[in-house]
Amino acid sequence: MEPRGEVFVLGLVLSIVVLVISVMISVWARRFTRTLGDYYVAGRSIGALNNGLAMVSLALSLTTFIGLTALIIEGLYIAVAVYASFTAAFIGLMILAAPYLRRHKSFTTMAFISERYGSKTLRYISVVIMLIVSVLYLGGNLKGIGIVFYFLLGVPEIWGIIVGGLVVTLYVTLGGMYGVTYNQTMQSIVLIFCLMFPVAIVLRTMGATGWAFPPLGYGDMVPLMTETVPHYFWAMVAHPVVYIAIFLGSFFGIIGLPHFVMRFFTVRDAREARWSTVICVFLVGLVNTTVYATGFAAVYYMQTAGADVPTAAYDYVVFILVEALAGEGWLALAIAGSVAAGLSTVSGLLMIMGAGLVHDLYSECESKFEALPFGAVLGLVAGLSFNQVLSTFFGFGGMPWPWIWGLLGLLLGAVLTHLFFKPDVDDDLKLKLSYGAMLLVGILVIIFSFEPPEFILEAIMWSFGIAAAGLGVPIVLGIWWKRTNKYGVGAGMVVGTLIAFIGWIMIGYMGMDPVDIPFPFFARYFYGPLGWIKVIAIAVPVSFILTIVVSWLTPPPAKDLQRQVDEMHGWSDVDPKRYNGKALPITIIVLSVFIMWFITTLYDQFPK
Amino acid sequence: MSNDTRRGYKIEVWVTAICFIIVAITGGFFSSVVVILNESFFSQVPTPEHLIEAYGETMFVFKEHLSVWGFPLHYFLLIVLSWIGATAIGAIWCIVMDRLEEQQRA
Repeated sequence: MEPRGEVFVLGLVLSIVVLVISVMISVWARRFTRTLGDYYVAGRSIGALNNGLAMVSLALSLTTFIGLTALIIEGLYIAVAVYASFTAAFIGLMILAAPYLRRHKSFTTMAFISERYGSKTLRYISVVIMLIVSVLYLGGNLKGIGIVFYFLLGVPEIWGIIVGGLVVTLYVTLGGMYGVTYNQTMQSIVLIFCLMFPVAIVLRTMGATGWAFPPLGYGDMVPLMTETVPHYFWAMVAHPVVYIAIFLGSFFGIIGLPHFVMRFFTVRDAREARWSTVICVFLVGLVNTTVYATGFAAVYYMQTAGADVPTAAYDYVVFILVEALAGEGWLALAIAGSVAAGLSTVSGLLMIMGAGLVHDLYSECESKFEALPFGAVLGLVAGLSFNQVLSTFFGFGGMPWPWIWGLLGLLLGAVLTHLFFKPDVDDDLKLKLSYGAMLLVGILVIIFSFEPPEFILEAIMWSFGIAAAGLGVPIVLGIWWKRTNKYGVGAGMVVGTLIAFIGWIMIGYMGMDPVDIPFPFFARYFYGPLGWIKVIAIAVPVSFILTIVVSWLTPPPAKDLQRQVDEMHGWSDVDPKRYNGKALPITIIVLSVFIMWFITTLYDQFPK
Repeated sequence: MSNDTRRGYKIEVWVTAICFIIVAITGGFFSSVVVILNESFFSQVPTPEHLIEAYGETMFVFKEHLSVWGFPLHYFLLIVLSWIGATAIGAIWCIVMDRLEEQQRA
């Protein structure tokens, strides 16, 4: 789509106001940061309402404005099913993990996995998985900010990525978790108002009688939609296992996504963790159902007004709709709301990436040898980022340069770590190191996002799948089954992650047709709309099965590790029989096998 | 394990299991159920041949008179259950766990 021919002053002013307020909040919140605990988990002092609102903006991200409506236009009912599952998944996160993680007193998902299973190796593996998941999630959101700036100013997306990225890096670095939390709270309020009001006006202009309440205000237009686009509400386009994969990806993915989980480490206690999730899911549902209304309005508008919106411009359709049916004032609000949405998610991701690298890798190292992975990972990312800069700005790139720069960065990072690493640094130095690392991670991520995935929401759905198989499974079993040990978790998370990640490489990155990927036995069943998502229905069950079976075949975890399970559930005494039965693991295995078998059924009943 | 502790443990596990199953249905499996039980929920109109000709896909359509507030029943249930339904289940679980926590403290 062509950008606006001139600068949209009102939209620009409101967006700058959002950016400036974000930085000011962080500068103000900096006074609360004294220790590492303040910097990473806001001193565990956040209340339920504040945390619930912060989670709302973290959850909604830019995909709410520019990804979901595009998916609704492309996939109609399936898209709504994806977000319905995502909404309810927060309650799954709460029931299975949130309060228990809060009682564990870790700083991050990676620390939880390492301490629950007593393994530093698992800490390194989970940091790598966290980086993969976060980069996939982040690239899409930074690209979204670029899209907004492109529409707003008519400048290339890359400048939006740089400006938005630098602002968010600045306020995350300055304010730490306090700054991120208060910013996310403000951004939630902004984005809810900036979405609800313009959509209400759009529905009123279209003639919906219930326009004042957008989530359910367009029911009287359904007959008109059925005449215009008869198949809009049809549910029957995909094999049932697609919906099961969506469920697995949403429910266990949200538990595995470290930037969501990190929010629960910031609250005062388990009760606050629980109620903050209820507040969050109510507001997330309110916004998501409003977005379904937007998708509905977009499809109806495109069909009835004769608007020629090319497929490539589906990501912009909210703005097109609001400008055409509500006017420029409302468009400015929608743009400001989308900037707020993008900033909030990016800030949460930067926070967890900085914490993962400094707190989970660097701080835990007791020798130069142990610190090598930290330097190597950072060097690898820096090398690839350098290649990205050369490629984007100087046109110097292509194979094999990413490999060469990545390898050089890796070696240089390892050498520098070996030369300069000091074990046992005090907390003051760690805090200073955290500021520096956060700034560095922010800049590297901005550079990485220069070439983000084409279809934003698809990349995020892949990251949900990888997080579900790699991190969600060990968290859930670590809380609910004492017998889970480090060997089982290692096997499950590595194999599960590889299945999902290799799937993304082949389908999401290389663009192969899902039914053609060299995936033994199953590939032919990855047909139909969102057929690739069935990869998640293999990765998650395999991760569960391997974790349980290998844990059973190897020695049980030490008693002090098993004691953590009782403590997480709030018991002051220890009972070896609690959370140690066979019913749960057997049920999980049976369901896992059933899901994988189910993929192979009903082959002839659905279009290929 | 004392009787009170055992009772608390059973309440926690069973309430959690039931709530998770319900929220999984409202938010995740509901669509699958609709697909699997399609003959009960939908009429196959217009004919699949017509659909292939018109849209390049074989799909089913909702029954005309099965609607709530103007929405097709399955669509209405999907968006309301995954939102209000899930929130209500979460709130109920929270109340039970709050009480259990008080007992644990006592």
